Amino acid sequence: MRQGQPADRSDKLPTRFARALLEVAMQKPLASARPLVNIFHTFIFFGFSFYLLVNVVDVLEAFVPNWETIWQGPLADGFNLLADLFSVFVLVGMLFFLHRRFITKPKVLEFNSNVLLHPGVAAGGVRRDSLIVGGFILLHVGSRWVGSALQLAEAGGPDPWLPTASILLPLFTEMEPGLLEQTIRATWWLALGLILLFIPYFPRSKHIHLMVAPVNLALRRETPRGALDAVQDPAQPGSTTLAGLPWPQVLDAFACIMCTRCHEVCPAHESGTPLSPSALEINKRYHINAHATEVAASGARQNMLEYAISPDAVWSCTACYACVQICPVGNEPMHDILELRRSLVFDGKMPDELGEVLRSLDEQGNSFGESNRRRSKWTRKLNIKDARKEAVDLLWFVGDFASFNQSCTATTRKVAEVLTAAGVDFGVIRKGERSAGNDVRRVGEEGLFESLAEQNIELLEKCEFDRIMTTDPHTYNALKNEYPALGGEYEVVHYSTLLVELIEGGAIQLEQPLAGNATFHDPCYLGRYNGIYDAPREVIERCGLALVEMPRNRENSFCCGAGGGQIWLNDHDDMTQRPSEMRIEEALSVGVSRFLVACPKDMTMYSDAAKTSGHEEEIVVEDIIDLVHSAMGIEGVAA
Amino acid sequence: MKIAVLLKMVPDLVEELEVDSTGKALDTEELKFKLNEFDDHALEEALLLGGEEDEVVALALEGEGNEKLLFTALAKGASRAVQLTGVQPGGSGEQATAFAAALAESSFDLILTGVQSVDDREGQLGPLLAARMGLPCVSVVTGVSVTDGGATVNKEYSGGVMAEFEVTLPAVLGIQSAQQPPRYAPVSKVRQMQQTATIESLTVGGAGGGAESEVTAMAPPEVGASAKMLDDAAALLEVLRGEGVA
Ligand code: SF4
Ligand code: SF4
Repeated sequence: MRQGQPADRSDKLPTRFARALLEVAMQKPLASARPLVNIFHTFIFFGFSFYLLVNVVDVLEAFVPNWETIWQGPLADGFNLLADLFSVFVLVGMLFFLHRRFITKPKVLEFNSNVLLHPGVAAGGVRRDSLIVGGFILLHVGSRWVGSALQLAEAGGPDPWLPTASILLPLFTEMEPGLLEQTIRATWWLALGLILLFIPYFPRSKHIHLMVAPVNLALRRETPRGALDAVQDPAQPGSTTLAGLPWPQVLDAFACIMCTRCHEVCPAHESGTPLSPSALEINKRYHINAHATEVAASGARQNMLEYAISPDAVWSCTACYACVQICPVGNEPMHDILELRRSLVFDGKMPDELGEVLRSLDEQGNSFGESNRRRSKWTRKLNIKDARKEAVDLLWFVGDFASFNQSCTATTRKVAEVLTAAGVDFGVIRKGERSAGNDVRRVGEEGLFESLAEQNIELLEKCEFDRIMTTDPHTYNALKNEYPALGGEYEVVHYSTLLVELIEGGAIQLEQPLAGNATFHDPCYLGRYNGIYDAPREVIERCGLALVEMPRNRENSFCCGAGGGQIWLNDHDDMTQRPSEMRIEEALSVGVSRFLVACPKDMTMYSDAAKTSGHEEEIVVEDIIDLVHSAMGIEGVAA
Repeated sequence: MKIAVLLKMVPDLVEELEVDSTGKALDTEELKFKLNEFDDHALEEALLLGGEEDEVVALALEGEGNEKLLFTALAKGASRAVQLTGVQPGGSGEQATAFAAALAESSFDLILTGVQSVDDREGQLGPLLAARMGLPCVSVVTGVSVTDGGATVNKEYSGGVMAEFEVTLPAVLGIQSAQQPPRYAPVSKVRQMQQTATIESLTVGGAGGGAESEVTAMAPPEVGASAKMLDDAAALLEVLRGEGVA
């Protein structure tokens, strides 16, 4: 950790730890996925926590004379009962996990075959580690449990406070007293001796998570999810080594329990690319373990692209935040990837097609390589105010896709028509607008992001407005969460929120409600990053449609595959199915024929996916504004 | 080895071009400039040729945006950047004279420039420069490899015919395309260069350019009669019948 880069997580330490411990006690970090697994984990967690006390009592019992007389009465009975029950909890829980890891072997525990693995991991290190840890827990708890049954046999009968041990009792009643005595000793030594034996292995094993996870959770990032860390050293941005990562991201490797939850939700892994956020953390850990002595010197400076993650994997990430959100121990594999990208881009190592797009963003201010003057082409015949010339209540930051992309501009026009019909005083800044730079930052081009942001901020300074509105969640995120650090502080509102406001205030009258049902896709940068889940749903329901949720919804939403700059990159050769196509199938599986989006990029992604997956006839992709537009009965103006 | 690369800014064709009130030139008010794409290829080829020991020097005439251009060349890996001052940028002949004066002072092995540019369609800069300096010149080059005392260059003729030339060094080469697409210079790095690196400046006399061609009129192309889209074969037949063809 000391090799890592500084990061300040030392504010409000007591609160941070109190909150983390409370969350751990409630097992809250696990809650968002895998319910069955969580129940068994909870068994083990409580059982094992209680065993801390059990072990202390066992040692006292052995070494304190007359312990039996001191330690009795209701307290001892209660303790025995708990110890007895928790033993079974742990044993059952552990058997469940070992069965899962070794017998049922769910596919999610495996890595795509093209994922870079540390040699130790490739040799089955994770399974061996699971076996050692599992075996330790089984033997440790099991022998104590058997031990207490033996003690009952010695005492001569069952004890209502040791119900499960009493069930075992008949096995031992026939035993000779001498042998009994010796076996009791053996179980005691086995239970406690194992701990001594296990201690040296403990820090290297996944079991260390029970110490590191709470610390990691306590010290987690408290800045908005959508704001990336500033570059530490502008002369060498990002990092390709452990030593160059902020230290909490080095700690992540020790907190990792190798559960693979993160890659289960990862759109890149799911679609067959060589990226597994889980493998990244595990590889880091194996590297540190293998080089424990030299990590301080050279190991921490070895290029992570050699042992932790392949360059192709780095370029497969959609920066969707799913892995960070789901990780029960608060790890941030995505942030490692983004640091790697910063470093790669600085050294000019990136896919060719990305260089092209960055060049046009630099030269033209948009990712389409078009003259920025054509940015307002879609406004033709709509009579929209120029916010550079007159004051407006609402400054509409349109964003690249909504302005240039042909499958989006019809939607963009509808937004304008709805706002006009609702009497909103709004304007756009036409060719003055540059890409907000959200995804530029996420491909790692920090300098270009700053340059775009500075140009936008400079122009916005000169405009008079109350709020900024945008339909693009990526733009929304940059303006809201990242511009403040560069001096641009605005009140930013997403159109979904604005629509709810206008409907509730009566400015929008939905006189011709629609009928039928529909599903809604939560855009990553609206939902997971910025917590806006209800507004678009409210709009949909107000327009008269019945909302049917897909299995992966709200914070568990599945990325369309376009984020983090992927929309500019070619699909990886190994891609088996595009995330957007999987999502269309997911929507069909809940029996809807309307797929609703609230993001211009989603409009292009999903209209394409509906076509390429051959479901164009069965499902139509619409923007929430389409609903409002038709429920208001607006007659559009032809462009 | 010492390689010089000549860079210049040209109007960005992504923008709509307008002719100014003289009717002889573009309206520069509304223009946006960018690096000539062939010069970008020349720079890329130079960077690919240049090894650890070699020196790649980027040169540009003084002008708006040229500093950023030179910092970008440094960010991509050029060893030095030089801006030529004291010249009124004019046609290719004047530019060739200015560059020749600048290059005469140091001994370069290779001088690379873009084969042409939107304001020099004939690609005169390379040949004129070579003539002024008394050096051999090959244009429309798509590949260079340096041999002992010379270079082997590939030249592309129209129709996809390729030729291979041996040239003695020093030589001037007009580059059509580099062996790799020109690299992207991260803005982070350009900004860093702007803070840490310096651009050398070299004053060259404003010697004349010799014979120049003169623009007498400039106008956007005539828009032809608009095309009509037909829906199906029947409509096509109808048109043909109307014309008396079928
Ligand atoms: S951010 Fe999304 S795409 Fe990237 S590693 Fe995490 S889950 Fe996968
Ligand atoms: S990073 Fe988190 S989610 Fe991923 S394997 Fe490790 S503990 Fe599980």
